[in-house]
Amino acid sequence: MAQYHISKKQLKAEAISEPHEVSVTDNYFQTQWLIWSFSASFRKIYMQEGKPNLLDMGSLMIKPIQRVMKYPLLLCELRNSTPPSHPDYRALDDAFAAVKDINVNINELKRRKDLVLKYKKNDEDESLKDKLSKLNIHSISKKSKRVTNHLKILTRGESQVKDNTFNREEKLFRALEKTVRLCVKNISLCLQHIQDAMPLALQSVMDLQEISYNKDDEMGYSETLSNALNSCHDFASHLQRLILTPLSALLSLFPGPHKLIQKRYDKLLDCNSYLQRSAGEESDLAKKEYEALNAQLVEELQAFNQAARKILLNCLCSFITLLRDLMLVAQQAYSTLVPVPLLVSSISEIQNQVLEEVQNLNCVKENSATFIERKLSFEKKKPVQILPEMPRQTDIHRSKLLSTYSAEELYQAKRKCNATQEYDINLLEGELVAVIEQKDPLGSTSRWLVDTGNVKGYVYSSFLKPYNPAKMQKVDTENRFCDDDFENIKVDEQIFYAVHAFQARSDHELSLQEYQRVHILRFCDLSGNKEWWLAEAQGQKGYVPANYLGKMTYA
Amino acid sequence: MSWWRETLKGSMENFSKQTRKLQKDMKKSTDADLAMSKSAVKISLDLLSNPLCEQDQDLLSMVTALDTAMKRMDAFNQEKVNQIQKTVIEPLKKFGSVFPSLNMAVKRREQALQDYRRLQAKVEKYEEKEKTGPVLAKLHQAREELRPVREDFEAKNRQLLEEMPRFYGSRLDYFQPSFESLIRAQVVYYSEMHKIFGDLTQQLDQPGHSDEQRERENEAKLSELRALSIVADD
Repeated sequence: MAQYHISKKQLKAEAISEPHEVSVTDNYFQTQWLIWSFSASFRKIYMQEGKPNLLDMGSLMIKPIQRVMKYPLLLCELRNSTPPSHPDYRALDDAFAAVKDINVNINELKRRKDLVLKYKKNDEDESLKDKLSKLNIHSISKKSKRVTNHLKILTRGESQVKDNTFNREEKLFRALEKTVRLCVKNISLCLQHIQDAMPLALQSVMDLQEISYNKDDEMGYSETLSNALNSCHDFASHLQRLILTPLSALLSLFPGPHKLIQKRYDKLLDCNSYLQRSAGEESDLAKKEYEALNAQLVEELQAFNQAARKILLNCLCSFITLLRDLMLVAQQAYSTLVPVPLLVSSISEIQNQVLEEVQNLNCVKENSATFIERKLSFEKKKPVQILPEMPRQTDIHRSKLLSTYSAEELYQAKRKCNATQEYDINLLEGELVAVIEQKDPLGSTSRWLVDTGNVKGYVYSSFLKPYNPAKMQKVDTENRFCDDDFENIKVDEQIFYAVHAFQARSDHELSLQEYQRVHILRFCDLSGNKEWWLAEAQGQKGYVPANYLGKMTYA
Repeated sequence: MSWWRETLKGSMENFSKQTRKLQKDMKKSTDADLAMSKSAVKISLDLLSNPLCEQDQDLLSMVTALDTAMKRMDAFNQEKVNQIQKTVIEPLKKFGSVFPSLNMAVKRREQALQDYRRLQAKVEKYEEKEKTGPVLAKLHQAREELRPVREDFEAKNRQLLEEMPRFYGSRLDYFQPSFESLIRAQVVYYSEMHKIFGDLTQQLDQPGHSDEQRERENEAKLSELRALSIVADD
């Protein structure tokens, strides 16, 4: 020992004085020197104890195994020297068999571990050169044999070695892998979405609050916002730690057993190929190898699957609790923001009211952009509509009808009727017709032959109602709809007045002075736009904007 | 007068920008919400469609419960988004549609102001000239022209000064209900979600376990797995 210390000091001194000259060989010699000097001291101890053969750890460790292997030999000798008639022979026999079994098991267990170690090497570490170097006649023939066997099994379903337990465990293993992989993917995606959505929602709430309240009423919401955002971050980090990390770690453990399962299948194919032929040393080895690998895999796959399942379950539970907590935080955050609860129904009322007020502001009304928009749509659509399939009914026609036919025969079109069949005619709303026949040539009573004073043709009777000039009907100024059932209106009722002056911008429009009375001919334009009405004043006809008109009320 | 004008105009522009941005942001927010609940449903859907659940009763029951919860979350989320659409996004749009008219009004006033200034300058030009007959006649004519234009401008100006502040003020009454509705929708949604997931945690395998316990168990299981011989060494 003393020698060692001195030499180390010497070496150190040398190292300091000549730092770059401690070469590899020097290191090697140094370690060898250390080992030799240690063993020298051990040897001395062993000499003293009387066991000179023990030189190293290896020889120490093999001792128990050697002892186990000695027993069969001993028992064999004993058995051989015992006559079969001896009462102990039976016990000896059993003992011998048992001890032989132990040895076999130890061997097989070792084989299992060896096989697993051999085949679980990471393939990615091998370069192409390594792979090529592994190729030789033997390996190629092995691989081709396996492929043929595999095909044989697939196509002919030949007798083969089967292990249902293994198959079940393997299926479970694969299912678990797929589940874990999908879970990691989906949960990460969900987390990302949550991290996007929650801050956005909070921010828009803050923004809306800003325009809904005056600056002075600042209700100190910025604190709530930052708290909520922090909770969001916490959620994300917890999720990462409790769920994604374990699951990803689990996922990374799957490929190892995968390889071994593949190898086992190869061994299975080898084993199968020997099933057909006579048993020999080769087939024995193949069988042994397959069984060893199989047994190891079955045992460990079961453990693997159970543990993996537990991890998966735990992660799912954590996910659920995390979500619950997040929802609570969000609920609390938003709850602090609620000023005064309101009924849902009143919201639209209030808003519509405000909007109406705003829109009635003169500066808005007069400069309404839709004013111009309306115009455009009106002008665009009009040319198409003007194609007259049938000229509109004029007052002349109406008076002709009124004079020719009696009151019971006169009907009025409830709405615009489009001709659909032969001999049908078009009618516009409010036009007057006289019914000639209350049925059509085929005998159906739903189609009537009518006279408009201009043309004769058929219309559906449901579109007509009796014309009653004496009845006075109220027209709701709010409901200026063209499609509505227009009850008979007295001609005078169609008088409105211009609330505001209006300057016509084209031939289709009619200029109005303030408080000018106009007679409304139609409550919509040709394209059905209810915001422009056809009005008549001082012999002129034209379209006027509906919101410029007010109803004349008679005293 | 013009200072007032400028600040009003400034705040109007600001306000208009705010409403536009808010509209866009709310749309983005509701889209993000929907994406989130869709991805949540996918989690449970993939779990359910896996053959893993076929043999495993416990896992199957848990996954089915999770799936129900996720689907309900999606449904509630959709409802919340619809509510927000109706009470916040639509009103925003409607209110925003008033801005073009206001801008038009401002522009018209500007035009009127230009005309006014132009004619005023003309009048002043004639006033400075020698008072001869034709000049006087022209002056008189210019003054006549000026009068209606000035009246028009003053009317427009007065109108805007009166009505813009009213418009600006009315936003409070208009948007407060939207704000309240938004908050309420979120509160209702999150309290429902809290309840759903709370119930779900009750149905779990070991509701008593805390997250730390589960974490430790996971770690233990992982080390167990790594100890297996069939697992590759990293």
